[in-house]
Amino acid sequence: MSAVIEASGLGKQYRRTWALRDCTLAIPEGHVVGLVGPNGAGKTTLLRLVTGQLTPTLGAISVLGEAPAVSPAQLARVGFVAQDTPVYARMRVADHLRLGAWLNPGWDDELAQRRIGQVGLDPKQRGGALSGGQRAQLALTLALAKRSELLLLDEPVASLDPLARREFLRSLMEAVAEHGTSVVLSSHLVTDLERVCDYLIVLVASRVRIAGEVSALLASHRRLSGPRRDPGTLPAGQDVIEQSHTDKQSTLLVRTDDPVHDPAWTVTPVGLEELVLAYMNPANDIPARRPQLRVAS
Amino acid sequence: MIRLTWLQFRTQAVAAAVALAAFAILLAATGPNLASMYAADGLGSCHGGSCQSLAEYFTGSLVDGPYMVLYLISVGVILLAPAVIGLFWGAPLIARELETGTCDLAWNQSVTRTRWLAVKLTLIGLTAIAVTEALCLMQSRWAAPIGRAVGDGAPEGVAAQGRFTQLVFDTHGITPLGYAAFAFTLGVTAGALIRRTIPAMAVTLAIFAALQVAIPLWVRPNLAPADHVVVPVTSLHTGPALADPDGSTFALPAGNFVPGHPGAWLLSGGPVNTAGQPVSTTPAACTAMPVESNPLAFNDCLASQGIREAITYQPAGRYWPFQWTETAIYLALALALTGYCFQRLSRLS
Repeated sequence: MSAVIEASGLGKQYRRTWALRDCTLAIPEGHVVGLVGPNGAGKTTLLRLVTGQLTPTLGAISVLGEAPAVSPAQLARVGFVAQDTPVYARMRVADHLRLGAWLNPGWDDELAQRRIGQVGLDPKQRGGALSGGQRAQLALTLALAKRSELLLLDEPVASLDPLARREFLRSLMEAVAEHGTSVVLSSHLVTDLERVCDYLIVLVASRVRIAGEVSALLASHRRLSGPRRDPGTLPAGQDVIEQSHTDKQSTLLVRTDDPVHDPAWTVTPVGLEELVLAYMNPANDIPARRPQLRVAS
Repeated sequence: MIRLTWLQFRTQAVAAAVALAAFAILLAATGPNLASMYAADGLGSCHGGSCQSLAEYFTGSLVDGPYMVLYLISVGVILLAPAVIGLFWGAPLIARELETGTCDLAWNQSVTRTRWLAVKLTLIGLTAIAVTEALCLMQSRWAAPIGRAVGDGAPEGVAAQGRFTQLVFDTHGITPLGYAAFAFTLGVTAGALIRRTIPAMAVTLAIFAALQVAIPLWVRPNLAPADHVVVPVTSLHTGPALADPDGSTFALPAGNFVPGHPGAWLLSGGPVNTAGQPVSTTPAACTAMPVESNPLAFNDCLASQGIREAITYQPAGRYWPFQWTETAIYLALALALTGYCFQRLSRLS
């Protein structure tokens, strides 16, 4: 299976500060990828490096096997919806669709018209008069009708209320399922993406903390609770991600590929939100990742 | 991309078309009358020396009528057109996309940024050039009688200026075309660098205005080495020499034409002695002249003491070479800015 996004040692520096560094990823095709991290972690930078709107300071990136934005054909294979879902204020909804049709050889006008009808956008309305949710739907429609192989959405639901959020993700998933598009969605809240993504990247302070298929991540993490114990005494192969202790009790979140046999521990599975929060917490010192977690292939 | 450019540019294009039409109607309504005034004054059929006084009468009659105002308005429109284009077509081209974030929409379609910019710059840039040059050609046609009267030797006034004066040189021939191309690309570049429309407009205006002042003052006179000629003090029609009250120094009044070189561009002039060196000290023989009562006698005295006037000028025949050169300079600047825009665009996000 080939990678839709392959990055090695990718870094982007703005003047003095690094927005992203040491980013090594290989995302297989056909996934809905959740890119999660606090605000300012580098999510937008990573997405813009993938679209080719930014050029990396360090490292290399290839998208669908080519350099990003290298040619019109490559641009046609990647769709991008920016964070604030910009549309032209003075152009009508119908004009936006014409723009899409004129500029994209693979434009699916039938899909575009159908979606505009479904989400209730008036083709005569101007971009400037649309609400945040309507703008997001228009921007998504443009990206979907482009019929790209990879769709990138930067905080697509941030400006939507909970109901519109659900509706937006549902319509996105429908469209994606229909055409087998690979998708990357970013958010600072994992709960936004929990229901839809099957691959996860956690980005904190400009570094990738963890990346992998959701099922593999859930399978390789356990919550252990039992009598107070020094985490240093755990057997090899059990990496502590997060720990909390009371006088008598220890609760650990560990990463391990092997079953935990120690009868002193009560072993419970870990939920995705819990897992992501543990990785996002800057206080947690994440042990070096092992190869099978870095690349899920 | 061409269709998108048109879709986004059509409001401005319509505004430009309306402005052009209004300008054309104004000139078409008044032009024939101006031409018939010229013919009625007998300028069309004069020969030799009589032309000059007829021309003087003709240009004198313009001052009282609406034609001088129309002349100044039309010249003003041509002078301002490139600046307006730079501000309202150039500066927002990239800056507004960055400001509103719509570049994320525009540059993520299946069109490279390079092509996006190439199409926009070409279509809007050519429109800018065409609009400005059209204004200039319409006005040249309208003002042709005035130009001919000046050629016939009418004294220079507000509405009757030589071809080399800034008001005429900057609004006739092909220079407006160069200004339009330059102002437009300057606006685009400022927008790409500053990334905000209003400050980019301000910078565009400041730089363009500064160049419009600096080039006629310091560059245009030196496009070719100036010619020199030494003429008698008495050959100047511009008036008597000026002596200061105590009679020790004098100066010659500023002239506006070069004796014996009609249509030439006078750059500078000043009194020189027999050795060709500049002088300002009144010769001893002339200090007692009654300048107040008989100013021309003072001129004659200066002449008798061997004082003459040295003039630096650009001959009339250099009008078109200067037009071409200055237009080429502005077009080269526009081209350099365009190249820079393409380079800059790949680093924008």
